[in-house]
Amino acid sequence: MNIRAPKDFWTGIMFIAFAAVAMLAARGYSLGSAGRMGPGYFPMLLGAALGLLGVILVARSLVIEGETIGRLRLMPLIVIALGVCLFGIAIERLGLLVALIAATGVTAFASRDSRPLEVAALALVLAGFATAVFVYALRLPLPLWPAL
Amino acid sequence: MDVLSNLALGFGIALTLENIAYCFVGVLLGTLVGVLPGIGPVTTVAMLLPISFTLPPVSALILLAGIYYGAQYGGSTTAILVNIPGEASSVVTTIDGHQMALQGRAGPALGIAAIGSFFAGCAATLLIALAAPPLAAVALQFGPAEYFSLMVCGLIAAVVLARGSVVKAVGMVILGLLLGLAGTDVNSGIRRFDFGFQGLADGIEFVALSMAIYGIAEVAHNLEQKSETAVVAGAIGRVWPTSADIRHCLPAILRGTALGSLLGVLPGGGALLAAFGAYSLEKRIAKPPRTFGHGDIRGVAAPESANNAGAQTSFIPMLTLGLPSNPTMAMMIGAMMIHGIAPGPRVMTDRPELFWGVVASMWIGNLMLVVLNLPLVGIWVRFLRIPYRLLFPSIVVFCCIGTYTINSNVFDVFVMAFFAIFGYLCLKLDCEPAPLILGFVLGPMMEENLRRALLISRGDASVFVSEPISLAFLIVAAALLVVVAAPAIRAARERAMRE
Repeated sequence: MNIRAPKDFWTGIMFIAFAAVAMLAARGYSLGSAGRMGPGYFPMLLGAALGLLGVILVARSLVIEGETIGRLRLMPLIVIALGVCLFGIAIERLGLLVALIAATGVTAFASRDSRPLEVAALALVLAGFATAVFVYALRLPLPLWPAL
Repeated sequence: MDVLSNLALGFGIALTLENIAYCFVGVLLGTLVGVLPGIGPVTTVAMLLPISFTLPPVSALILLAGIYYGAQYGGSTTAILVNIPGEASSVVTTIDGHQMALQGRAGPALGIAAIGSFFAGCAATLLIALAAPPLAAVALQFGPAEYFSLMVCGLIAAVVLARGSVVKAVGMVILGLLLGLAGTDVNSGIRRFDFGFQGLADGIEFVALSMAIYGIAEVAHNLEQKSETAVVAGAIGRVWPTSADIRHCLPAILRGTALGSLLGVLPGGGALLAAFGAYSLEKRIAKPPRTFGHGDIRGVAAPESANNAGAQTSFIPMLTLGLPSNPTMAMMIGAMMIHGIAPGPRVMTDRPELFWGVVASMWIGNLMLVVLNLPLVGIWVRFLRIPYRLLFPSIVVFCCIGTYTINSNVFDVFVMAFFAIFGYLCLKLDCEPAPLILGFVLGPMMEENLRRALLISRGDASVFVSEPISLAFLIVAAALLVVVAAPAIRAARERAMRE
């Protein structure tokens, strides 16, 4: 059997996967009845509906011709996600300045156009801007320096 | 109280020095960020959300509303000068707007966009003032069954108006509803879908989710496109259109405003549909029609008026029913909740100063847009020249700061990273994120209303069809689904979307 509509096929698989996770997790919550709905009732309902739609999509994609998925370029995405995680790891322990400079530095590598000196300058500008605006002007609760 | 005294109250609030300043800052920042290519209004509002945290609620909403229509207008500037729509609803503006720019008439194109938007904004603000009170009064009568059916109807409409496959859009709505249920269940105290993470006790943070999808996933997606953009070089020219231009455009502006005001209320792609609809309407009735697509100024005036009117009237369901009609409104609801205001029909009666202050500030904001943008266009153009390689790390970093500051919770930042990957896959699979976002916001509300409705009726599901208002909503929802499933109409819809 051939997949004729890869976009629909993989969307269907994604829906089925989410539905499965939701329904497996919701198994632990009591269902109750329609009149006295437990915490599991609505999630189960939604999970079943989502799973059904996923099955429809997969079935349809095997019959009806559809679009192919464009080229996936995962590298930039992964680099950016890493930059974001780095910010998350650093912000409370090392403070805003370090987190920001590190995140900028890593994220910039997602593009081939980035130039090292420019990135360094950008990181400094962003750090200065964020400190001035978020920490001093808006007084948001952001740790600026590393926690000792 | 009648409309006039309400508006007087509103202007009393909006015209305080402080709120004028916030409105100004909002419009300025919104335009500034919205002008940057590849950043739409949702991302702009999301990135600038932290600024509003420390403000009183009225000022915060005034600021955010200003950011929203500033970003909307900034998107048009990008559309005209760079041929990149800042957001979906300015796609049509690129057609004639960019042609005008290439012909050296960028100035009048920007000018008429501002004038059309201003007129549309004024009309739509008045419409909100007139239509919102009776709507809220009706909504106050709604019981849980009516609310549930209304939400079903709204979500279905959002699905129908979204581009692409209906099945996928329905799936995205349901997935959004499911994601919205994560966190502690208010009724049983059980933590759902936390997968052992302490950070998910309060559910998935809305700001983290929307920034992941509209900020970071977009960035990753944009990096795949051609990197450098060509800004129209040379002088913008006289910005103020000639009086002949204005007379030529006036009917288009009026029609665009009317169409946009109506469509903006609809859930889903209100502003988008408005812009497309207004453009094709003008094209159809224009004589001669051939000038459209070759730099006809009416081709800028109509969709710009329509999308601004639509952007404005999309506040109506948000302010009166507490239901978002687009992701930006979902963001506004999120912002209201951060400030401890539960959106819904009660806002108008319980917090009249908030409601009318925001409405009045919209008018002031629209005025500011004109005053600000016509002389400052030259500066915005310079922002357009910032290369994307410098922009995208900045976007990512601001999203990080924004997400972290919501709850001072590191976990939200990781949630954002996770959903960024998810959002990128959705983009690749042609799954529209807007229905997901709407579903996410409505998830808990929908469950609560379903639960209450069935509790009152003792588990009898016929309550949804025995209540007349509820039945009406469900019939509309069903009709919409039938309509979109009908092959003839589907073909027409696809053609319209492609145009």
